[in-house]
Amino acid sequence: MERGREKTKVFDGSNTSTGRLASSSFLDTLASFFEGRGAFLFLVPALILIGIFVVFPVVWDVYVSLTNASLVGPSARHYSFVGFYNYVRLFRDFLFINSLKVSFAFTVLSALIGQAFLGLALAMISRMEGIRGKMIVTTIVFIAWVIPGVVSGYAWSAVTAQQGLIASILSLFGYKVKYALYFTHPFWVIVIANIWRGTAFSMILFTAALEGIPRYIYEAAEVDGATPWQRFRHVILPLISQAILVDFILITIWTFGVFALPYMILGPGGGRGNAGQIWTLYIYFKAIDNFDIALAAAASNVMFVIVLALIIAYLWSMKHFRRW
Amino acid sequence: MVEKNYALTAVIYIFLAVVFAFFIGPILWLILSAFNPNASPAFTLPSHFSLVNFKKLLVPVGNVIPLQWILNSLIISLASASIATGVSILSAYVFARYTFKGQGAMLTTFVILRLVPPIVIALPIMILYKWWHLIDTYTGVILVLSALILPFALLVAESFFRSLPVEYEEAAMVDGCSRFGAFLRITLHLAIPGITTIWLLSFVTAWSQFVIPLMILRNPALMPGTVGLSYFFGEYGRVDFGRLSAFSVLFSLPVVIIFLAVQRYLRRGIAGLVSR
Repeated sequence: MERGREKTKVFDGSNTSTGRLASSSFLDTLASFFEGRGAFLFLVPALILIGIFVVFPVVWDVYVSLTNASLVGPSARHYSFVGFYNYVRLFRDFLFINSLKVSFAFTVLSALIGQAFLGLALAMISRMEGIRGKMIVTTIVFIAWVIPGVVSGYAWSAVTAQQGLIASILSLFGYKVKYALYFTHPFWVIVIANIWRGTAFSMILFTAALEGIPRYIYEAAEVDGATPWQRFRHVILPLISQAILVDFILITIWTFGVFALPYMILGPGGGRGNAGQIWTLYIYFKAIDNFDIALAAAASNVMFVIVLALIIAYLWSMKHFRRW
Repeated sequence: MVEKNYALTAVIYIFLAVVFAFFIGPILWLILSAFNPNASPAFTLPSHFSLVNFKKLLVPVGNVIPLQWILNSLIISLASASIATGVSILSAYVFARYTFKGQGAMLTTFVILRLVPPIVIALPIMILYKWWHLIDTYTGVILVLSALILPFALLVAESFFRSLPVEYEEAAMVDGCSRFGAFLRITLHLAIPGITTIWLLSFVTAWSQFVIPLMILRNPALMPGTVGLSYFFGEYGRVDFGRLSAFSVLFSLPVVIIFLAVQRYLRRGIAGLVSR
C-alpha cells in the first residue's frame, strides 16, 4: 500500500501537470516539507497535549501518593517521602472501605442490573413491529442521558425532596414521606437517579446489536414454534453475548467515574451515614474537605488500577470475541 | 406476520407507560418549575406561566450574574472543542494514512485514556496547577479539557479518515498535488461532515464537564455553567428553585439540541464499540 503510493509520486515527479489542483504552489512548497518523515510532526501537538495534561498528572499522582503532601498548612509546601504509608492508611480508613462497598453495590445495582436490563428491554421493544409511541419513549431516555450530570443531579434532588414528585406518588399509595428521600435513603436515591441517567447507552448499544441479527433467524425460530421466551433465551441472547459483555464493562467503568450526579444530590459526604459516598465522592471529600491530598491520591490510584484492569478486559474481549 | 399476542402487547404498553413516566418526570418538573413564579420541589402546574425566573438570571448572585456562567461555558467549550478537533485531525490523518512502529500501542493508549474517569486527572492537575499558576485561569481549564477530549476526538477522526477512500488522494497526487496538498484539498474537504460531528461532540463533552473546572476554578466570575449551578445550589440556605430551574433549562438546551442533531452519528459510533 505504502509502496504503491510512493511509486505514484515518482511517476509524478516530472511535475508537468497543470491541473487545477496544482495551481496553488505556495501550499505545496510548504507542504513538501511535511512529506515522508515530516508528516510525523503532525503527531506532536497531540502528544504534547496528552503528555502534559493527562499522562504526566496520572504519573505525578503516584508520586504524590508516596508523600505526606497536604492541601494547606506546612506540608503543602515542604513535604517528604513516606513510602507506602498512605496506602496502609487508606486500607485502615473505615470511610475508604465503606466507599469501596458503596461503589461496588452502586455499580452492580444501578448499572449492571438497572441500566443493562432496562436498556435491553427497551432495545427489544424498539425492534418490535406495531408498537406505537416507542420513538417518544426512546427519545426521552436519550435526552435524560445527554443532559449535563449537574442538571440531572439538581432535578433529582428536587424530585426526591420531602414534597417532591416521588413523595407525592408514594402518598397516593398511602405512604407518608416525613423527610426528604435523599436524606432517609441516600444510597437508593443515587441508584435510581443513575439508572435514569445512564440507561440510554445500553439501549443504543443493544439496539445496534439486535439490528445486526438477520431477520430470517427470528423467522426460522418462529416457524419452528419457539415461544417468545425461547426465542429470546436460545436465539437472541447467544447472538448478543458479546454486546452484553462490552456493555457491562463500559457501564462499569463509567459508573465508577460518576461524580456530578451524586455530588449534587448528596454532597461530597455522600448523605446520612456516608451511605451514598461512592469512591469519587470519597476522593473529593478527602482532598478538598480534609485537605489530605496524599491520601486522596492513593485512593485515586487504586481506582485507576481497577479501571485499567477493566479497560484491558474490554480490549481483550474486543479481540477475542468473534462477531456472531 | 405473527398472530397477535394481546397479553404480551398489553404488558409492553404498560411497561412503556411506566418507563415513560419515570424518564419524563424529572425533566417535566424542571421545565414546569422554570416557568413557575412560585416554584418549589412539589410537582405542580404553575398558576400562570411567567418568565420571571429567566429575568432573575440577570440579577447577581454574590457579584456574578448567572448568565455570565453560560457565557463562560461558551468560551471554554468553544476553545476546547476547537483545539481538540484541530489537533486530532492532524494526528488522525497520520494514523490513518501511514504505518509506523508503535502505532497500535499508541491507539490502544488513546482507548485507555478515553475511558479514564476525569476525577483521576482532576486531583493531580489541581496540585500541578498551583505551581504552574494556572488555578483560576481559562488557559488552564481549556488546555486540560482539550487534552481530556482529545483521545475520543482522535479515535473518531482516525476511523473516519480510514473510511475515506485513499484513491481520491492518489488521483490528486497524480495530478501534481503533494501528499499534504491532497490531504488539504481532497480528504479534509470530504471529511467536513465528520469533522463537524467531532467538533459538536467535543463541544457538548466540554460543556458538561464538572469535576475538573470545579477543582481548578475557585473564582465565581470564571466558573462555567456546571460549576455555577452547583455553587448557586449549595451557597444559600433557602434555595430559589425557579431561578435554578430556569438556569438549568437554558444551560441544557444547547446540549439537547446538538445531541438530537448528531444522534445518528452517535448511534453509529456506539455500534462501532461492539464490532471493530
